[in-house]
Amino acid sequence: MTQSGGTTVQDTSSKPEREPEREPGTATRTGTEEGGTGTPRAAWRRVLAATLAVALLAAGAVLFVQGRHLRDTPATSNRALTDTAGTNRVVGDVSSALGKVFTYNPRSTAATKESAKRLLAGKALQQYAALFGQVEKQAADQKLTLTSQAVRAGVTRLGTRSARLLVFLDQVSEREGKAATTAAAQLSVTAELRGDRWIIVDITSR
Amino acid sequence: MNARTRSLGGWAVMLAAALVCALGGWSYTQARGDDTLAYAKARDAATADGRSRLARLNSMDGTSAASVKSGLTAWLAASTGPLRTQLERTRKKDTAELAEAGATARGKVTDAALTALDVRAGTAVLIATVDVAVTPRTGKGGTERKRFEATLARTGDGWKIKALDAIPVGSGG
Repeated sequence: MTQSGGTTVQDTSSKPEREPEREPGTATRTGTEEGGTGTPRAAWRRVLAATLAVALLAAGAVLFVQGRHLRDTPATSNRALTDTAGTNRVVGDVSSALGKVFTYNPRSTAATKESAKRLLAGKALQQYAALFGQVEKQAADQKLTLTSQAVRAGVTRLGTRSARLLVFLDQVSEREGKAATTAAAQLSVTAELRGDRWIIVDITSR
Repeated sequence: MNARTRSLGGWAVMLAAALVCALGGWSYTQARGDDTLAYAKARDAATADGRSRLARLNSMDGTSAASVKSGLTAWLAASTGPLRTQLERTRKKDTAELAEAGATARGKVTDAALTALDVRAGTAVLIATVDVAVTPRTGKGGTERKRFEATLARTGDGWKIKALDAIPVGSGG
């Protein structure tokens, strides 16, 4: 601002001459008495203004980069726990889906298979289909009942369309006429948001 | 280009510079004061610390008395609060027993997730699955799969384990 202020003052005083504005050297300015005293001051102001502008730009750039640095971490793209409602929803959907697909009795294998088709997709559905062929037979032959319940579930990664979770299951299996046994299962699950529901697309046993 | 336009140009440059500085400052303070960002960072820090400390607590080199001693020191360093107090209390007994057994265990966290995080209180709850490879002094070793729920507390030296529970089957939801 000092630079322009200085030139403006000089400009009005030297306007009739027309020369000094084209040639801002000392020779032309010494021609006018006012310009003589103003010139070193104007130059000084110009330098000051330029320095200030550069300093402002540099400060802005540094602050911006620092801000980016704070923001640009893998932490920001993961909304696990930071988005409470979203986290609770994916935990609820996945827990209930796992409970449903790993729960059956000799009379309900068809229903379990149906719900699996709704709640699983992709690789998880293939894995499940391969497994469930045996299970179906076993359930009928040995009159086996399995009840699964998620006891703990946590989200490791939550994006807009996909999520990864760790789920602890308790599985109670019961053969007709025998005492029930409980087993633990730990699953790393990948889920995808399809429509308004989280669908399980991959399951890894831990 | 006459002096007037030049002076206007000077003003414009100055204004632009001031604007850039202001925007930079705004962006920085936004990032600085972003609670969600701070929360997300605390979450990742707690998970990473919890994982490494849980692996430590599932590891022990029982080949010699000295290695058991340093293993127990590592256990103490990974724990805080009630768990640390308990480990300190049973340290003598543990040293003798572990050296006697001479087994070596190596814990590896296969997956872990936070189920709760309170940054203000500095506490978090982590669930994790751990593979523990056990090598006895004699005979064949094996790998045990374990599942844990660990309560973490923030300390000056990162997040440490305050309480550790192996979740037994049938513990309910």
